[in-house]
Amino acid sequence: MTDELLVVRAQLGERAALAELLARWRVPVWTYVRRMLDAERADDVTQEIWLAVVRGLPRLREPGRFAPWLFTIARRSVTDRLRGEYAWAKEAPVVDDVVAEDPAEAMVDRAALVSFLADLPVLEREILVLFYLEDLPVEECADICRIPIGTVKSRLNRARRLLREHLEEKGYRP
Amino acid sequence: MTEEPRLSEQEIIERLAPTLSRTTRIRAVAALLAGMTGTVLVSTLWWSEPGPLPGHTHLAFALFTVFCLLWTGYGGWLLTRRAPLFATDQVIAAWISLAAALATTGVVAVVAVQRGTGTGPALAVGGLFIAGTLALTVRAHARRAALLRRMRELTGREHR
Repeated sequence: MTDELLVVRAQLGERAALAELLARWRVPVWTYVRRMLDAERADDVTQEIWLAVVRGLPRLREPGRFAPWLFTIARRSVTDRLRGEYAWAKEAPVVDDVVAEDPAEAMVDRAALVSFLADLPVLEREILVLFYLEDLPVEECADICRIPIGTVKSRLNRARRLLREHLEEKGYRP
Repeated sequence: MTEEPRLSEQEIIERLAPTLSRTTRIRAVAALLAGMTGTVLVSTLWWSEPGPLPGHTHLAFALFTVFCLLWTGYGGWLLTRRAPLFATDQVIAAWISLAAALATTGVVAVVAVQRGTGTGPALAVGGLFIAGTLALTVRAHARRAALLRRMRELTGREHR
């Protein structure tokens, strides 16, 4: 059953469809939150996100776009907790906007990515989690972060570069 | 990395139960309707009072109207921000509000006719109330019908 069908059924008031949506997205939402926040806060924030989802679901006008809507809510909860970090985070100038074949990309298997994410600045960490761990397309990442597609690509480039440097520093070889 | 969420699906659902409970929705609809019907009743009685009123009576009517408006605002806030009303709930709530609007208008009209003053304003306010709730009812039905249509399309597509 597609997410859209589940959302439509949940919007009609079917509790089982809501439970199925929750079962399907519980781990992805928690993964995003946990990669952005520490373990102590991750569960509380996840619960807060689900509460906001349930409250907002009747007003969701495009059931087919559930995933970006869900992660927009999740991001709002996370940014509330990381207000300080986001306020300090600056968009670094784009050195090379071409998405070149990046050696870091080859290293980016999920386990390696997860273990090094915590060392990255918040903007780069966020975009890597959404793009690689949640498998969201660039357009949806742009929607969720409210930035242009070009900015998503340049953040991804920068994040890959930072990740490669971190991996190389720690002696990781693909 | 083997870390997993500490909260199970069941635990999350249990914590959402108060928000999803029928009591929460009934309370929200009741607060909104009590506020709206109270506002219509009190303000119409106020306007249709025969003869000049003393200052403290005006003050009492004004305070009571504000009190009812506050309940309306609280009910509206509950319904839009706190208690989710899904499509089927919205249809039921809309019919309840239409019935309340008709009953309130009936009461207000009878009182106005008995007093022999303010029948016009009473019917105008009641009419607005009825029109508003009727629009809500039509909208709720249309929204539910659109969702049911989409559900049938998607179900048909999956079975193909």
